[in-house]
Amino acid sequence: MRLTYPHMGEVYIAVKSMMDDIGVESIIPAFTTNSTLRLGSSISPEAICLPYKIMLGNYINSIKAGADTIIITGSCGPCRFGYYGPLQMQALEDAGYNDIDIIILDPPREGYGKFLEGLKKVAGKNSRRIIPSFINAYKVCSELDSMNELLYYTRPRAFNKAELRILIHEFKKNITSVKGSAQMLELIRDTKRRINAVDIDESLKPVKIGIIGEIYTIIEPFSNLNTEERLGDMGVEVHRSMTVKDWVQNNVILPATGRKGYKLERKLSKPYLPVLIGGHTQQCIGHAVHYAKTGCDGLIQIYPMTCMPEIVSRSILPQVEKNYNIPILYLIVDEQTGEAGFQTRLEAFVDYVSSSSL
Amino acid sequence: MSVKVGIPRGMYFYKYYPFIQSFLTELGAEIVPSPETTKEILDKGVLYSIDDACLPVKILHGHVYSLKDKVDCILIPRLTSVSKGEYICPKFGGLPEMVKYSVPDLPPVIDTEINLIKNRNSLIKALYKMAFTLKFRNPISINKSINKALKVHKEFKTALHEGNTPDCIIGGIPKRQCKTNARIGLIGHPYLLYDNFASMSLIKKLRERGVEVITPDMLDQHMINELCMELSKRMFWSSGKSLIGSALFVMDNSSFNGMLALTAFGCGVDSLAGEYIEKQARRYYKKPYMVLNIDEHTGDASFNTRIEAFFDLIHMS
Repeated sequence: MRLTYPHMGEVYIAVKSMMDDIGVESIIPAFTTNSTLRLGSSISPEAICLPYKIMLGNYINSIKAGADTIIITGSCGPCRFGYYGPLQMQALEDAGYNDIDIIILDPPREGYGKFLEGLKKVAGKNSRRIIPSFINAYKVCSELDSMNELLYYTRPRAFNKAELRILIHEFKKNITSVKGSAQMLELIRDTKRRINAVDIDESLKPVKIGIIGEIYTIIEPFSNLNTEERLGDMGVEVHRSMTVKDWVQNNVILPATGRKGYKLERKLSKPYLPVLIGGHTQQCIGHAVHYAKTGCDGLIQIYPMTCMPEIVSRSILPQVEKNYNIPILYLIVDEQTGEAGFQTRLEAFVDYVSSSSL
Repeated sequence: MSVKVGIPRGMYFYKYYPFIQSFLTELGAEIVPSPETTKEILDKGVLYSIDDACLPVKILHGHVYSLKDKVDCILIPRLTSVSKGEYICPKFGGLPEMVKYSVPDLPPVIDTEINLIKNRNSLIKALYKMAFTLKFRNPISINKSINKALKVHKEFKTALHEGNTPDCIIGGIPKRQCKTNARIGLIGHPYLLYDNFASMSLIKKLRERGVEVITPDMLDQHMINELCMELSKRMFWSSGKSLIGSALFVMDNSSFNGMLALTAFGCGVDSLAGEYIEKQARRYYKKPYMVLNIDEHTGDASFNTRIEAFFDLIHMS
C-alpha cells in the first residue's frame, strides 16, 4: 500500500511524520500549482468549491507518482466537505483511475466500527503505534505553528526579505527528504534558529492584520495566492486565525477527552450568531471579534466562491466591522490565478489600514 | 388588536406555509404573507443582500423588505434541521442573521430555532417558544393550535401526493384536468420550482404543453429515504436527499418520458447532489435529462428555447 493525502498548507509535514512513525510508506503529492488546479477542475462539477478541485488535482498527481490509497478526513456537518469523498471516488473512477482506495475518516460518532476499520486499514499490523505517532505528529504541528508565528514577526521587520524566502525554500526542500518525527522536529528547530538569526529592524511598528475565513483557503497558500507572504513583504504583521494544530486540538484532542472545542470563539460569536450552523462560521466571527479586541488594525476574510457557511459569516461581518470600527477586506477565491489584481487590492487595503491606524 | 405577523414568501414557504399559517391563526395572530415575487422584489433583494448569496436567499431578502413596513414582526425561523440526523443547508441556519444585518429598519424578527437533528419532539418545544415570543401564553390554546396545525399539514401533504403543486393549494386554485401527452420528473428545490417569477413559470409552461409534472414534494418521503439507502455515504442534507431520491425514482420508473432539473447558480447542495444525479443519469438513464440553471436574469426567450428543445427530445425518444 502506498498512501497519499491532499495538500493543505503544512498538513503534509504532520501526516508524513505520523505515517513515517507508524511505518507506512506515503507519497507527498507534488506541490500545488496552476496545472494541478487545471487537472482537478477538468473532472470536477462546475459549481463546486475550490478545495474540491485542488484536492482532486493532488490525488491525480500522486496516483501518477505511484500511490494507490488516499486518506482524508470526513465530516457529516452541513458543509459540502463531508461529501467530498464519495464524489471524488466516482470522479477518479470516471477519469480512468481504477482500483484507487479512498479511506475516509469520519468522526467516530458516525460509527466507531467504521472509524476503527479505517485506522486499521492505514496502520495494518502496527496499529499499536497509532497513538504515540499521533502525539509526535501533534508536537510537529505545534513546532510548525511556533515557526510560523516567528515568521509572521520576522517577515515585515527583516531588512533582507530575500534571505528569509531562501530559508523557507530550503526548509521545504529538506523536509521532504527527512524521515520520522524526530528528524523533522530537529529540522524545524534548526530552521527556527536560522530565522532568529536574520537581521531585523526592532524599532519598526508594523500594522497588524488578522486573516479569518474558511479553513482550507486560509491555510493553503496556493489557494489564496500567498496572501500571508505578500502582506509580510509589504511590511504587515499577519496573524492567521486557524492552524492545523488548532484544528487537531479542537476537533480531536478536546472531544476525545470529553471537552468541547472552540470555547472562546463560541463565546465571542454568541451575540452575532447564537448557534452552530456548520462549517467554521462561528469560529470566523469569534476570531474577528477576538482580533478586533486584541488590537488588530484590519481583517481579511478569505473564502472560496459559493462556500455556504462563509457566505453567512460574510453577511454578519459588516456588523462586527461597525461595532468595533475595524476595516475588513473580503477576498473570494476561485480558479483565478492572475496575481496583479489581487496584489492591487491587498496594497490598497494595507494603505487604507495604515492610514486609518495612525 | 391582534399582532400582525409577516411571512416572507421565500425559502421553505411552499413547504410549511399551511402549517405555520394555521398554527398562528389559531393562536389569534393575524398573518400577512408577502405578495408573489415580482421584478421589484427581486431588485430589492439583490440590493440588500451580499452579492454571492444564491438566488433564493436574495429573493427572501426582497420579500422581507416588502413586508417590513406593513407588519409588527416578521417570522424567519432558523431551520437548522427538519428531519432527524439531517441538516438542510448552512444558509437556512444563518438566515435570520443574514437578513437582520442586511435589510435596514426591520421590525422585530422571530427567529425561533427549529432543530430536529436529535429527535422530532423538539418541534413542540420550538412552537411553544415561538408562541411565547408572540406573547401567547395559554398552554391549552397553544396545544390546540399545534394539533390543528399538524392536521392541516397532513391534509396539505395528502393534497401534494395527489399531484397538486403547493402554489396552487396555497392559492386555492383547483387542479385542471387536461389531456396529457407526456409525463416528466421535475427535480428542484421547492423555493425555485413554485416561485413562478424565479422559475419563469416553468411548471405552467410545461402544463400548457400537456406535460404532467411530478416534483419531489409529490413523492412519498419513506420511498425517497429507501432509494437513498444505495448511496455509499449517508446524505446529510434533507434537501439534497429529496433531490437524489426523486431523481432515482424517476430514473427507475418507465412511465416517465424524461427528467428536468432546475437549479440556482451557486447552490451548494445542488453542486453535489446535481453532480451525483448527472453521473447516474449518464451511466444508466436512457431518456432525456436536462439541467436548467437560473439566476437573476429575467428574459425568458432562451429559457423557452431550451424547454422546446427538451420537448423535441421527449417526442423523438
